[in-house]
Amino acid sequence: MTFDTLAARALDTATSSGASYADIRFDDGRAERAEVRNGDVVTLADSRSCGYGIRALVDGAWGFAASARLDDTGVDETAALAVAIAKAGAAIAKHRFAQAPTERYVDTFRTPVVRDPASVPLGDRVALLLDVERALHATSSIRVGRAWIDLWQTEKVFYSTTGSRIAQTILQSGSGCSALAVNDDDAQDRSYPGDIGLYQSGGWEIVDAAALRENAARIGEEATQLLSAPQCPSGVRDVILGGSQVSLQIHESLGHAAELDRIMGWEANFSGTSFLRASELGKLRYGSPHVTIVIDNTMPRGFATVGYDDEGSKSVVDDIVRDGVLVGFESSRDTARTIGRATNACVRAENWRNVPMIRMCNLNLLPGNVPFDALFDGVDDGIYMESNRSWSIDDHRLNFQFGCQIGWEIKGGKKTRMVKNPTYAGVTPQFWNACDAVADEHSWVAWGTPNCGKGEPMQTGRTAQAASPARFRNVRVGVGYDA
Amino acid sequence: MREAQREELARSVLDLAANDACEAIVTSTAGGLTRFTHNAVHQNLASADTTVRVRTIVDGRTGVAMTNDTCPASLAQTVARSRAIAAFAPPGDVPRPLLHTARISAPHGAFVAATAAASPTARAATVAAIVAEAEAASVWAAGYVTTSQTGITIANSTGTLLSFDGTACGLNVKANAADATGFAERYANDVAALDGAAAGAIAVAKTRVGAAPIAVEPGAWTVILEPAAIGELLSYLTDHFSAQAYVDGSSFLADGLGRTYVGENVTMWDDHTHPSLADMPFDLEGAPRTRVPLFEAGVANHVVTDARYAAKLDMPNTGHGFAVPSAMGPEPRSVVVSTGSRSTQELIAQTKRGLLVSRFWYIRPVDDRKTIVTGMTRDGTFLIEDGKITAGVRNMRFNQSILEALRHCEFASDAARTEGYSYRMVVPAVKIDGFRFDSRTEF
Repeated sequence: MTFDTLAARALDTATSSGASYADIRFDDGRAERAEVRNGDVVTLADSRSCGYGIRALVDGAWGFAASARLDDTGVDETAALAVAIAKAGAAIAKHRFAQAPTERYVDTFRTPVVRDPASVPLGDRVALLLDVERALHATSSIRVGRAWIDLWQTEKVFYSTTGSRIAQTILQSGSGCSALAVNDDDAQDRSYPGDIGLYQSGGWEIVDAAALRENAARIGEEATQLLSAPQCPSGVRDVILGGSQVSLQIHESLGHAAELDRIMGWEANFSGTSFLRASELGKLRYGSPHVTIVIDNTMPRGFATVGYDDEGSKSVVDDIVRDGVLVGFESSRDTARTIGRATNACVRAENWRNVPMIRMCNLNLLPGNVPFDALFDGVDDGIYMESNRSWSIDDHRLNFQFGCQIGWEIKGGKKTRMVKNPTYAGVTPQFWNACDAVADEHSWVAWGTPNCGKGEPMQTGRTAQAASPARFRNVRVGVGYDA
Repeated sequence: MREAQREELARSVLDLAANDACEAIVTSTAGGLTRFTHNAVHQNLASADTTVRVRTIVDGRTGVAMTNDTCPASLAQTVARSRAIAAFAPPGDVPRPLLHTARISAPHGAFVAATAAASPTARAATVAAIVAEAEAASVWAAGYVTTSQTGITIANSTGTLLSFDGTACGLNVKANAADATGFAERYANDVAALDGAAAGAIAVAKTRVGAAPIAVEPGAWTVILEPAAIGELLSYLTDHFSAQAYVDGSSFLADGLGRTYVGENVTMWDDHTHPSLADMPFDLEGAPRTRVPLFEAGVANHVVTDARYAAKLDMPNTGHGFAVPSAMGPEPRSVVVSTGSRSTQELIAQTKRGLLVSRFWYIRPVDDRKTIVTGMTRDGTFLIEDGKITAGVRNMRFNQSILEALRHCEFASDAARTEGYSYRMVVPAVKIDGFRFDSRTEF
C-alpha cells in the first residue's frame, strides 16, 4: 500500500470525524552510527523507524496522534484519535491558538550529495575510525580516545487537506573525535572539529571535510598539554571566540531567544520564555553593527536545510538581526500570524512520533571583512577560546556562562601561552553589542548541532549556526574558578 | 503491545537467527501528553510504537540493527543486517557474551492499569483543575500532564526471556503572575496520584509570595533546595558512580573508593524497588538490577557496573547497563536519598537568613573532577529571614561544587519523586550552608 493511498484515507477519516483541517507526515528514517572507544568498536548499528504523525484541527485546537501501523485500520484509528485529542483540548479551551492553513504545494526536494555514504564500505568506515582513535593516543596521558560517524537518510512525504503533497529525501552526515587526558589531579577533554564534530547536510563528503586523520594527533597532544597548563585568569578581558564557540553563542543567546513560540509563552514551563518582545522588532539593538544573523534553510550543507518544513511551508531566507537591530523571529504559521507576518518555515519534528514545533534551523552569523589573524590586532590583554565544554543560560536567555576546552592568552596582539578551563559570562544584548569584529568568509563554517533539546516530550533537533571567529571587548572571564 | 505478543516477536527473531548467538529486545511504548499555556491546551498528542533491536554475535564480533517494522520480512532483513554488520566489528578487549538470566518479577506498583488506560479526556480534566486554580488567582499557567506505558522484553539464544511492563505519569505547572512565577510537579506510576488542583495551588501560591521580587547580593548563602532543585543538582553527581567514569578518571571517585567525600549524614543509593519508583528489575543487557549504596554515611564504597565493567574491575555486575554494545557506561537509574529528622518547614523555621529555591535550570558541569557545576534559579526563589519567608528574590546564577555542598547539608524528613529528562529519583528537600551565587538577573 502506498503512502498516497493511506494519506487519502487518513485525511478523509479526519475530516469526516470533525476536523476542519488535517495533515499527515510520513517519515521513514534510517540512522547509522559507528563509534570506536579505546580501540573497541562500541557502536556499529543501523536503525530504521517508519511511521506517521497526523495533525487535526477542531474548533481552533490541534490534536496530534502518531503510529507506525501502516494499514487502513492503523490510519483510521490514528486519524480518529488525533481528532478526539483535538476535541478534548477544544472542550476546555479558553481561547484558540490555531487557524486552518490554506497553502498548497506539490513538490519534491532532495539533499545535494557529492558522494553517497552507501558507496563507502562499512569496513572502510570502521578502519577510518580505528585509525583516528589510535592517533588520538599521542601521549601516555590519553585515557580515553573516541571517534564516531553518524549518517542519516530520511524520506518524508507530507499531505494536507488543502491538497499539498511534498516528498523529500534528506541526507545528513557528521563525524568527530575526542581525547580525554588524565593525571592524578585533573582530567582534560579535547574534541575535534569543534566540540561535537562536523555535522552538515550531505553525504560522505561531510566526513571527508572533517579531516579527522589529519588532526587527531594534535587533539591528543593538546589534551595532554592542558593538564599542565596554567588556569585561565579571572577578570575582565577582551575575548576572541573560535567559530564553533560563536556557533554555540548564537544557538543559546539568539537562536532560542528568537523562537516565537517561546516569546508567546508556549515553552514557559520547560525551555522557558524569552526577554524579547514582538514590540521590539525593528527597535531593539541586539548587537553591534557587525552582527547580522539570518535564517537560511536553503543553504547548501546547512544541517537543517530542507525544501519544506514539517507543517508544509516552503524554506526561505529571512533576517533575524540586521546590522545589530532585531528584525525577525523564527516562526510557524500559527505564531507568525500573531505578529502579522508569514511563517519563515522553522517548524520541525524529531521524527514521525513527535509534534512539529519551532526550531532555529539554520541560523547564521554573516561573515565580517577581516581575516581571522587580524582579530588579534589591537588586543593587548585577552583570551582566545576554542571548542565548547560547558554552557548554561537562564530561562529568559539573558544571563549566560560558557566554558571552552582550551584557551590561549593574547598579549600585545599575539596569541601566547595555553590556559586551561577558560570560561566567560555575560548578559546577551550587552555581549553582542561588545562584538567589534567578525572574521571573514575564509573561516566561516556551517556548524551543525545534532542534539538541540526542546519541547515536552523532549525532542532532539538538528540545527545549524554558521559562523566564523569573532572578537568581543571587556568580557568577564575565568568565571566559576574565581573564588 | 502485550507481554505475550512481545515474547512471541522476540522468539521469532531468535528463530530467524538460527545458529548465531543472538539477542532480541522488543520495546513497546504508548502514551499521551497534554501541554497547556495561557490556561489553554496548545499541544496535545498521543503516540505508540514498537521497536525490535537485534544483536548478533559472530566469532566475538557484534552487530546491531533496529527496526519498528515488525512484519516477518522486515525482521528477517534486520537479523541479516545485524549479522552482516558484525563482520566489520573487531572483537573488543572484554568479551560481551549473552547473559543467561531467569525471569524476574517487577516490583509491586510498577504497572498501574488506570495509568495505561488514561484517556486524552482524563488528561484534559487534570489540566482543567490546574487552570481553575490559576484563573481563580488571575494568573496564567503553563505545564503538561502525561501518562505512558512501556513494555520491554529481552530474549537471547541462551534461553533468557525477560519481560517488564511499567507505567509512568507526571505533571508540572508553572504559574505566571506579572512579576513572579511559581512551580510545582508530581510524578508517580499511578495516575491517581496526579492531583492537578493541589499542584496548581502550590504554584499559584508561590506567585503570591514572590510578588515584587527583590534583588539580593550574590555570595555564599544558606539555601533550602526543594526536591526538584536538589534532584537536578544531584543528577550531575550520580553519573560519577558509573564504573566507566571511575575507570576513565573523569569521576571524582578517581581519588579512590572507600573514602569519605561528603557529610556523614549523607546516605544515597540506587534502588529500583523503592515504592515511589518501582522500576524495571533488569538492565538492557538482561542482568538483574541490584540495590547499590552510593554514599553510606558519607563514604563512597561502590560504583554501578554492567557485564563489561564487572569483568574489567573484577566486581559484581550490579545490572546498570545499557543495550550492548554502547558507548555509554553503566549508570545509576533509580536514586534514593535518605531523609533527615526535621521537616522542610522546620528547616525553614530554623534558618536565620537564607534562600528557598523551588527549581534550578540549565545546570551544566564546569569542572568534572571537582564536581563544580553552574546553573540558574527559576520559578520561585524566596528570602528567608528569622525563620520566615519574607520576599520573592530575583533569580541568580551559582557556581558550586556538589561534593562541597554535601559536606554542609541537612536533608529534610519528607521526600518526593522528582524527574528530569535524564533522571528519576526520590529525594527530600535539603538545607545547605555556603552555597555560592555569583551573579543575578533582573527578573
